[in-house]
This record gives sequence, C-alpha cells and structure tokens, in this order.
Amino acid sequence: MAESRGRPGSAGQRPTGGDKAVATQKKQYFRRKKVCRFCVERIDDINYKDVRLLSGFVAERGKIVPRRISGVCAPHQRRLSDAIKKARNIALLPFAASI
Amino acid sequence: MRIYEELFIMKPDTPEEEIDQFIEQMKTVVTAASGSVDKAEKWGKRRLAYRVDKYREGVYVLFQFNAAPETVKEFERRLRVSDLVIKFLTVRIDQTLKRLDKRKKERDKRAHRKATAAPAPAQPSVSQQMLGGGAPGEPAPVAE
Repeated sequence: MAESRGRPGSAGQRPTGGDKAVATQKKQYFRRKKVCRFCVERIDDINYKDVRLLSGFVAERGKIVPRRISGVCAPHQRRLSDAIKKARNIALLPFAASI
Repeated sequence: MRIYEELFIMKPDTPEEEIDQFIEQMKTVVTAASGSVDKAEKWGKRRLAYRVDKYREGVYVLFQFNAAPETVKEFERRLRVSDLVIKFLTVRIDQTLKRLDKRKKERDKRAHRKATAAPAPAQPSVSQQMLGGGAPGEPAPVAE
C-alpha cells in the first residue's frame, strides 16, 4: 500500500484528499517481481575471471548495474561488485568504457 | 600455508619461448620456498579492456599455488622487476575455496535428503489418505 502510494507522480493532484484513493487506483500497474539470478541459478562462485558472467551486470559505460535494476540480492551483489572490481584491476573489464 | 591465485599480463610482443621460460622461472620461485604450484595456465593473447603501458592486448598467465605469505611477496617483487610483465593481480583464495566447498556440501546434503525424503513423504501422504479415507468410515459406525 505504501509502495503504491509513493509511486504516482500525481503529487499536484493529491491535496484535494478526497479522491486520493481513486488516484492511486488509477495509477496501479503491474510490475514483474525481480529475482536474484545467482539465487535462482544456484551460482555459488562469482569469480572475477568469468568475464562473460560479470559483463552481464555492467552497464554500457562500464558501471556496475545497481541491484534495484538488476534484482540481485544483497549478499550476491556484494560478491558481484567485488568480482567486478577485481576484474577491472586486471584489465578484464573496463573502468570506464567508451561507447 | 595459503592458497593464492596470481593472474598477470605479459607484453604481447614477447616470444613464446620467453613466456614459457618465465613461467618455469616463476614456478621455481614457489617451489624453492617449499610451496607447491597447483596450476600454471597460459590463457594466450587477449584484448585488454583498457590501455596498459600503451598496449592494447596482452598475454594472460594464471598461477595457482600453495605457499607462505613471504613467498607471495617475493613472487610479486619478481613480477614488478620483470620487464615482460605489465600488470598483475594476487588473490588469496583458500577462504573462498573453503566457503564454496561448504556451500557445495550443504547443497549435496540437501539434494541427498530430498532424494531420500521424496519417496518418504509420498508414502505418509498415501497412508494419510488411507487414514483420511478410514476416518470418516470409522465415525460412521460409531454414529450408528
């Protein structure tokens, strides 16, 4: 409930109060639940040498994709970011990629 | 003794023999300090993600060895001094390996339990059904 209330960008319409529920109902849409790929596929080892796996979690510019977008769970994101940083250090992944 | 992994990049224009020679040389560094080399892999020429010392590609070499911390120091010193090596990374992996081993064991155990338990719950459920089937039958005579 709190989630759906925070979502709509109709802050300007809200002060009227009375039709708040209607507004939130109108704004409702479905979002697919994200799941952690490492949990689902049972990948225990997030290795810095596995460039193919890591490159899936790196944006075009070489940035680490935030977990609010990729859906990776916190413990795995921690290991993932460690691995990506190691891979950057040995020139397997770029620090900053040119498009 | 700890297990380490060493990944280093050599200049792309080094001749093959020199690379092999260097690998042998580094192996002796570990073995001389009573360590053991578990793995010495040559990945071959790869493109670098960014330019290192004006090189756009390099020859990757992976070492895995079991040695004392002092040996690693010496190993790294050698790499730093060598003109052929442009970049290196040392990672201690014994703790990671241990953790992975534990995870795998747990997973195997769970899978094993599931495999043995899978038929087991099926039987109780069948017997439960039988019980469930018998239960209404039982009260009925009592009610009568």
